[in-house]
Amino acid sequence: MFIDIQNLSFTYSNSSMKAINDISFTVEKGEVISILGRSGSGKSTILRIIAGLEMPNGGSFILNGKKIMDTRTFIQPEKRGIGMVFQDYALFPHMNVEENILFGLSKMSRNDKKKRTNEVLELVELEGFEKRYPHQLSGGQQQRVALARAIAPEPDLILLDEPFSNLDTDLQVKIRGDLRRILKKANTTAIFVTHNVNDAHALADRIVKIKDGKIEKIGRPCDLLGLSTSELPSTVEKASEELLTV
Amino acid sequence: MNRYLANVNGWTIGAILIIILLFVPNVSIVTGIFSPASENWAHIKEYMLLKYIKSSLTLVFFTALFTGAIGLSLAWLIAQYDFPLRNFMKWALILPLSIPPFIGAYTYHGIVNYTGVIQKTLRNQFDITPNPAFFDIMNVPGAIFIYTIFLYPYVYMITRIFLSHQSASLIESARTLGKGPWEIFSKVVIPISRVSIIGGVSLVVLEVLNDYGVVKYFGIQTFSTAIFQTWFGLGDLDSSIKLAASLMGIVIFILIIERLLRGGKQYSYSTTKVRPLPLVKLKGKSAVFATIYTLIIFSVAFLIPVIQLIDWVILTFGKVPMEEVLTYTKNSVTVAVISATLIIVFSLIVGNFSRIVHHKLAKLLPKLTILGYSIPGAVIAVAVVTTFIALDRNFAPIYQFFGVESALVLSVSLFMLISAYVIRFFAIGYNSIESGFDKIGTDFRDASRMLGANSMRTFFKIDVPMMKGAIISGFVLVFVDILKEIPLTLILRPFNYDTLATKAFQYASDEKIMEASQASLLIVGVSAIAIIVFHKLLREEP
Repeated sequence: MFIDIQNLSFTYSNSSMKAINDISFTVEKGEVISILGRSGSGKSTILRIIAGLEMPNGGSFILNGKKIMDTRTFIQPEKRGIGMVFQDYALFPHMNVEENILFGLSKMSRNDKKKRTNEVLELVELEGFEKRYPHQLSGGQQQRVALARAIAPEPDLILLDEPFSNLDTDLQVKIRGDLRRILKKANTTAIFVTHNVNDAHALADRIVKIKDGKIEKIGRPCDLLGLSTSELPSTVEKASEELLTV
Repeated sequence: MNRYLANVNGWTIGAILIIILLFVPNVSIVTGIFSPASENWAHIKEYMLLKYIKSSLTLVFFTALFTGAIGLSLAWLIAQYDFPLRNFMKWALILPLSIPPFIGAYTYHGIVNYTGVIQKTLRNQFDITPNPAFFDIMNVPGAIFIYTIFLYPYVYMITRIFLSHQSASLIESARTLGKGPWEIFSKVVIPISRVSIIGGVSLVVLEVLNDYGVVKYFGIQTFSTAIFQTWFGLGDLDSSIKLAASLMGIVIFILIIERLLRGGKQYSYSTTKVRPLPLVKLKGKSAVFATIYTLIIFSVAFLIPVIQLIDWVILTFGKVPMEEVLTYTKNSVTVAVISATLIIVFSLIVGNFSRIVHHKLAKLLPKLTILGYSIPGAVIAVAVVTTFIALDRNFAPIYQFFGVESALVLSVSLFMLISAYVIRFFAIGYNSIESGFDKIGTDFRDASRMLGANSMRTFFKIDVPMMKGAIISGFVLVFVDILKEIPLTLILRPFNYDTLATKAFQYASDEKIMEASQASLLIVGVSAIAIIVFHKLLREEP
C-alpha cells in the first residue's frame, strides 16, 4: 500500500485528553480519502500530524515505502514530499501567483520551473493570472492557486484542510467537481478533511469518519451513507445529518 | 521521538541565550540584597529610606490620579464626540510624548522663573511684580505637573483605542435605555475602560519611577536620585544596589496591584469585525467647551514648550558650535541605531522561538525579558555595571595575554551602554514583533515548510517580508526611546561621550537653559515626526 498509518495518538500540551486516539488506516496510490467529522473531532489534527506540523505521542507513518515517522524517526515537514492546501489557502500576500508557485520549485532549472508553473496553471485553468497578487483574486481563484502551488512540486501526497469552507455555496459545487478532476488528472493521492458530507461524498473514493479522536467508520461513500452517487445531492442532505449524529 | 527534544533547534538555543543575557544582570540586584551592609546603608535606612519612599510614592500617586483623569476625559471626548478641531486633536494630543519630561521641566522652569517670559511680561508690560514663590515649580507639585502633562498620552492613547473599538454596542445600549452623557460616562465608560485606564496609568507610574531628569533638576529626593548619589557621591555601589533592590520591590508591588486591579483581565484589542463607535456631533456651548479643553491641554503640554524651545534656539543660534551639535547628534543616532537593530534582531529570534515551540516555557520565558521595561533605568544601570565589572575581572588574564594594560575594558566601553539599552528597551521592540507574529499567524509558515522551505528560508522569505510593518514600527519606537533616555546614558556612557539627551541635560543642569534648547528641539522634532508617522500615516483607526 502507498500510505500506512498505524496507531496514531496525540495529546495537546495544555490538555490531558487525547485529541487523537489510536488511529490506523491505509491509502492506495491515486486514491482520494476524506476524513469526515464535526468540529473538534480531531480531523484537522490528523492532517497536521501527517504533514509533520504536529508531533504525535505515538504511532507510525509510512509513505511510498519510506518511513516518515515512528518512535525513533521524525522527518521534518519540508523533507516529507507532502503538499498541503490550507483552509484559508495561506497564499503569500507579498508574492504574485507565479512567485507563489515558484516558491516550492527551488530545486529545478529556470526553464523547468517556468514549464511546470505553466502546466499547473493550465491544470487549474488560471493561465494569464501569473502576475496577479492574491488580493486581486476571487475566493475560488485563490483556492485554485493554492492547489496549483501544492501540486507543482509533484508531491507524493496532497493534504487539503476544509478546502471548501471559505467558498460560497454555488462555488463549492463547481469547485468540488473541478478539484476531483484536477486530482485525478494529476494522479495525485490526496487526503482531505471536511465536516461536510456532501463534499466527502462528491470527492472521496473512501471516507474515514472520525468522532472524538477515534475512527468510527471507514468505507466507500455509498457504503457509509447507504446511497449511490446518482442519488446525490438531494438525499444526501438528510443522510448527512443522520451520519453525523451516529 | 521525544516531542520536546524535537523542538531544540537553532532558534531555541539562540532565544534561550538571549533571554539569559537579558535577564541575568538583574539577578545581581537580587543577590546584592544579601551582601553585608555598609555604614552608609545603616545611615540611609535610618534617616533617608522613608523619605525616598514617601516622595516617590507621592509623585506616583498624584501623577497617576491626574494622568488618569485627563487621559480618560480626553479619550472619551475624542472617541465619542465630534467637535471643531477634533480630527487634529485626535493625534495631536499624543504629541506631548515626544517631549522627554526633563526637557519639559527645564523649559517650564525657564518660562515661569524670574527672567522668564511670564514674569518679564508682567513686570515690563503691566508693571506688576508678582511674588516669585508663586511661580516656583521646582518642587513636588511642580514635578507632578510636569509628569502629568507629558505622560497623560499613555492613558489617552490606550483608553481612546479601547473606547473607539470596543464600546459601541454597550454605549448604544445605554443610550437606548435613556441614559444621558454624564450617566453613560460614570456608569458605563469608566467601568468598561477600567482595564485600559489601569494599563495606561501603570505605564505612567513606571515612567515616573524610572525618571531621573526631572527630580534631579528640581532637587527632589527619590529612589532614582538616591541611587545616583549613593553611588557617585558616596562611592558606595553596595548601598546603591540595596536601594535599587528596594525600588525593584516597589515596582513589583505596583505590578501586583495592577494585576489585582485588572481583576485578571487581559487587554482585548480584538482587531477583527469591530464596529467603530459612531460620533455624536456637539453643538453650541458643548462644542466650544470641548474645543477649548483639548486646546488648553495641547497648548500646555506641547505648543507652549515647543514655541519656547524654538525661541531659545533662535536666540542662541551659533552659540553652541555646529561641530559640537553634529558630534552629539551622530553619537545619539549611532547608539540608538545599533541598539535598536540588536533589539529587533533579538526580538525576532525570541518571538519566532515563542511562536514555533509548543511548550509553556516558550511562552513564559519571553515575558521575563519584558520585565526589563518595568525596572527603572537606575536599577538596570547598577545591574549592568556590576555584571560588566565582574566580566572584566574574569577576563583580566585574556586582556593581559593581548597586552592590554587596563583592568577595565568592557566596563568602560560603549558596549556596556548598548547592553543596558537592549535590556531596558527590549520589551518595546519585542511587543511590536510579537504582535507582528500574532498577526501573520502560523499558516504561512506552515505553507512554506510544506513547499519544502526550511526554517531559515521560511523566516527570511516569508516571515520577515510579511512583518515589515512590525519591524519598522518596533525599530522606530525603540530608536525614539533611546534618543530620549537619560539615567542609563549618564551613568554608562564612556568618558566624554555625549548624546543629544545628556548634552541637553548637562546644559540645563548648569543653568544654561537656552543652550540646551538646540539638542532638546532635535530630540522633540525627531520624536514628534516618529509619533506622527505612527498615529497618522500608519493609522490606528478609527
